[in-house]
Amino acid sequence: MSGVILEMKGIDMAFPGVQALDGVDFSLRAGEVHALLGENGAGKSTLIKCLTGVHRMDAGTIFLEGKKILPNSPQEAQHLGISTVYQEINLCPNLTVAENIFIGRQPMRRGQIDWKTINRRSQELMRLMGVDIDVTLPLTTFSIAVQQMASIARAVDINARVLILDEPTSSLDEHEVARLFEVMRDLKARGLGIVFITHFLNQVYQIADRITVLRNGRLVGEYMADEINKLELVTHMIGKDMNVIYDLKKAPQEEGAPVVLEASNLGIPGKVEEISLHVKKGELLGFAGLLGSGRTETAEMLFGVVKPSKGSVSMNGEKLVASSPLDSIRRKMAFCPEDRKRDGIVAELSVRENIGLAVQALRGFMHPMKPQEQQKLADRFIRLLSIQTPDAEKKVGELSGGNQQKVILARWMATQPDLLILDEPTRGIDVGAKAEIQRLMLEMCIGGMGIIFISSELDEIIRCANRIIVMRDLEKAAELDGEDCQQADILAIIANEETEEAMAE
Amino acid sequence: MKRGLKWDTILRSKLFWAVVAEFLILLVGFIIRPDFLNIQIRTLEDGTRVLFGTPIDILNRSSEITIIAMGMTLVIALGGTDISVGALVAVSGAIALKFLRWDVLEYTTPGDYSVMPFVYVLVVPLVVCTLMGLFNGTLVARLKIQPIIATLILMVAGRGIAQIVTDGKQFTTQYAPFKFIGNGSILGIPLPIIITFVVVAAMVVFVRKTSYGMFVEAVGINPNASRVSGIRSAVIIMIAYVLTGLLSGISGLIYSSRIISNDSNNAGLGYEMDAILAVVLGGTSMTGGKFTLVGTVVGSIIIRTITTLVFYFGIVSEAIMAFKALIIAGVIVLQSEPVRRAIARRREKRHINLGGELHA
Amino acid sequence: MPEIRSKPFRRLFKPNYLMVYATLGIFLLLYLFGAIMYGKIGFTSIRTFLLLFSDNAYIGISAVGMTMVLITGGIDLSVGAVASLTGMIIAYGTTVMGLHPLLCFAFALLVGVGLGLLMGACVQYLNVPPFITTLTGMFLARGVTSLISRESISIKHPMIDALAGIKFYLKWPNAAGEWVKIKPVASIDLNTIVFLLMIIIGAIILQKTRFGRNVYAIGGSVQSATLMGLPVARTKVLVYGFNGLCSVLAGIAYVLYVKSGWNLALSGAELDVISSCVIGGVMLSGGVGYMWGTLLGVLLKATIPAIITFNGTMNSWWAKIFTGVLLLLFIIIQRAVVASSSRTARKAETAS
Repeated sequence: MSGVILEMKGIDMAFPGVQALDGVDFSLRAGEVHALLGENGAGKSTLIKCLTGVHRMDAGTIFLEGKKILPNSPQEAQHLGISTVYQEINLCPNLTVAENIFIGRQPMRRGQIDWKTINRRSQELMRLMGVDIDVTLPLTTFSIAVQQMASIARAVDINARVLILDEPTSSLDEHEVARLFEVMRDLKARGLGIVFITHFLNQVYQIADRITVLRNGRLVGEYMADEINKLELVTHMIGKDMNVIYDLKKAPQEEGAPVVLEASNLGIPGKVEEISLHVKKGELLGFAGLLGSGRTETAEMLFGVVKPSKGSVSMNGEKLVASSPLDSIRRKMAFCPEDRKRDGIVAELSVRENIGLAVQALRGFMHPMKPQEQQKLADRFIRLLSIQTPDAEKKVGELSGGNQQKVILARWMATQPDLLILDEPTRGIDVGAKAEIQRLMLEMCIGGMGIIFISSELDEIIRCANRIIVMRDLEKAAELDGEDCQQADILAIIANEETEEAMAE
Repeated sequence: MKRGLKWDTILRSKLFWAVVAEFLILLVGFIIRPDFLNIQIRTLEDGTRVLFGTPIDILNRSSEITIIAMGMTLVIALGGTDISVGALVAVSGAIALKFLRWDVLEYTTPGDYSVMPFVYVLVVPLVVCTLMGLFNGTLVARLKIQPIIATLILMVAGRGIAQIVTDGKQFTTQYAPFKFIGNGSILGIPLPIIITFVVVAAMVVFVRKTSYGMFVEAVGINPNASRVSGIRSAVIIMIAYVLTGLLSGISGLIYSSRIISNDSNNAGLGYEMDAILAVVLGGTSMTGGKFTLVGTVVGSIIIRTITTLVFYFGIVSEAIMAFKALIIAGVIVLQSEPVRRAIARRREKRHINLGGELHA
Repeated sequence: MPEIRSKPFRRLFKPNYLMVYATLGIFLLLYLFGAIMYGKIGFTSIRTFLLLFSDNAYIGISAVGMTMVLITGGIDLSVGAVASLTGMIIAYGTTVMGLHPLLCFAFALLVGVGLGLLMGACVQYLNVPPFITTLTGMFLARGVTSLISRESISIKHPMIDALAGIKFYLKWPNAAGEWVKIKPVASIDLNTIVFLLMIIIGAIILQKTRFGRNVYAIGGSVQSATLMGLPVARTKVLVYGFNGLCSVLAGIAYVLYVKSGWNLALSGAELDVISSCVIGGVMLSGGVGYMWGTLLGVLLKATIPAIITFNGTMNSWWAKIFTGVLLLLFIIIQRAVVASSSRTARKAETAS
């Protein structure tokens, strides 16, 4: 194994009220993929931001190839050879792919930007990544995966010695992940040190050589990937007894329970092919499938966030006409969207206001809830869902991800819906909160609510769902009974199309 | 510790600093002219007794801006701006005076009368301004056009419309009921102050006793989440612009009554700027979200106090802008994120130091 | 994904360019309208066309700087006031204090660029919204102008006269082969030259320099630009400084045009400048805009009062209303373009 390229020692970093990093050590060798793992709030992002000069650490030293460095800005870090590719695409949507790869370091000819060289070399770089596109088109013309490749192309081309990939796979499908891994192996072979941050443990085992685990701002340990098994790893990450988490019972199903939600031939050309489904009272319908398989789009159509161009939805036998969120709420439907920050919380409003939001929207603003009523509602759900907050007046944006998710859940439970759609409610929150949310979901089912539960994690769905719909390539591929369903069955269905495709090619 | 935390929230609140700024400016006025804060009762020629003095004058003259700024606060909280308000003031005045005009050619004596029932004089300008607000609101809420450009249209075209209404002429009126709006007083209090008080009170009640205010903040902070939660943000946005249109109309009536004339070129000139400044000085962020109507009232009064104060220096009226700019710059710098954070941090450090000393 | 093979063709039809084409199309339509209605009384003469430039040079010069500011996603309301201050400095300096105009130019440049940089720094380092910052800048500049003088001061200086007198007459050979002035007499004055020069300089900066590309990147996403290691702070501050420079040049152009300084001169000019940019396809949300579009925008906006003048029966305030209508039209076109480009983006995504 080659020598250490990057060494961070005793890194301390405090934010008002939180010790985000407490004496963390981290080292990276040339030609290795080093996974950085931890729950949300463990300090991964903070550590990376200290390294790239976004934050200034309070104490500690960083050595790059033996030399002490102290980057003050991402620019400086980049000059030193530390490049970062973030989870959200950090490129400029209004510029072309080529320009995004070269901006800030454009080749010049006779004092002018040499556009020809930029376009030619970008095309080459993207081909190396296995992407053959017209790089002179604006970035927004392309899928997230292509955009991600462009940002990696950019990062690598800046003669990076250290490449940081911050959750690069969270919005990629399986193919794209595979392609990304190929690129990573190639870069590794060229002697780059790669820091890989992810929530997907399987991917860690596929690509990582070493693993560093952080918890609550402290270093838990550094392990060789082939010397530690998954269960140990998870235990290190959460530091909790796993049994608590896996003790779940599905909601019992009654024969002849009434149908709550019925959708027929719902679709938008190019987004989701015609889909029909129903949910019964007290039933938990799982939605499995890869990201981009049409799961979220289906949920959004059901709830009226996007208008379906064909088909119909009815709640409790009544047809939904207006196809707007408000209309759906009136018919006792509720929807926890996938992107909590973007579509869920109203960060600067208090917990109390956030919880009351949907109920209030239902009533209309001219019929406000009384302050005591709001207070009571908020207090009830804070207790019921054990939301960890000093009081109901705390801004939601200041809570942790899991608690934010609970606030949104409370917002919808407060409307006393007959049907609740949960789109990835457990994503990006720590394992403890995850289990609590799963339990809550099942309790609501037992209470008679119908639930549609969308998740990328198959075992989670298998554990909770009474019935499972598998989505593939924008359409419903199969409907399975949740009681005797194996992970392998679902995987086979998801993979089915892909093998056919491979044969066709 | 509890007390210390509370102080920190107060120190971080922009409203607090706005009030401090207002007191400082008043103090400067008091030092320069000790009679600056005096209020007295004077008897006018016709026997009515009115309150008189600089503070009253400041309140009176800030009316037009305060009223518009009530609507502007909502618009800004929703992440928008309305730069057409000044033009709407001109439109409102033009229509009112059009209805009130005495026309030498048609009427032999310059009459103190209205050619239309007086209620039209009041209602039609307000209806037209409300419709213009609806136009702005439609562009912003339905067509999703950037507020600055959407309202730029009426800002540019509005004065043209005002001129067309009056055929480019300037009318004057002596019609007493109309004069009363801007120049009269009830129980010694100038009517504009009373109107402003009523408008502010009505707005505060509307915004805080219904859930409109919370919805405005929700939409201003996170429009997507608001929509998913069932808030019809288009309606919320529309109402804010319509209200701003209506309030601009009211402000236009007060202004044109004050000068008993219409002036399509100069009526309400720069009001959009003053109203926006009032909102920002009051502590509502230009980026939208949380807002405070009371803060806006303070902001508007600050602006007027500066103007009044500068008059006392004997400086020409146009130059007032420079002083306004300097003081506003001061307040803005004080309110800006980095500076407030720095102040908060210094306080925190001092707390820690104090704690250390106590332990020692 | 269906790919259009012929590259130049497709490149000409980038959605961003569509706005500029719209401006061009409407300008041509309006000009055609003028030509049909008032062609007989000289609307189509070269003289009238050149007057569009020389009468609006100060707006155009200022629009060059404004375009850059708008592309970063900012706005500058101080341009009219700074130009007016420039005029006052020159008028007061030459007429009252008897200074040489060049000295006054230099001083005005110092003040204008200084204020621009200061405002840029405020926007960048204090996070004060551009609207508020430049509004304060506008108040400051207007106020200072009024402090210098409330009276209009006329300028009588041989150098100013000489500069204002620079005119290149358009000539053509007559029957005898001699070069004579065309009729009606048409000339290109210094202001027009400076205006066009600034447009060219602006276009080169935007398209051919790293600085210019950084301007676009910042307009596209400040956060991304920062994380990509672009010099965001420096670029933003400099853009406002450059805009200050343009405002001063616009002020000088205005002085050459009216030969006086007045504290209320050019009030509301910032709106004309911003409207011209918007009509020229610059998006106020930032990231999109071209100098050539701005040039066309200035011309298009200038054509309206020209037509109204030629009409003779309409009042000048109709110009305001037509400008409003034009703005509305362009804004709706912009909406449509944005909507259609995001639709193609979605299509591309589902196809890939």
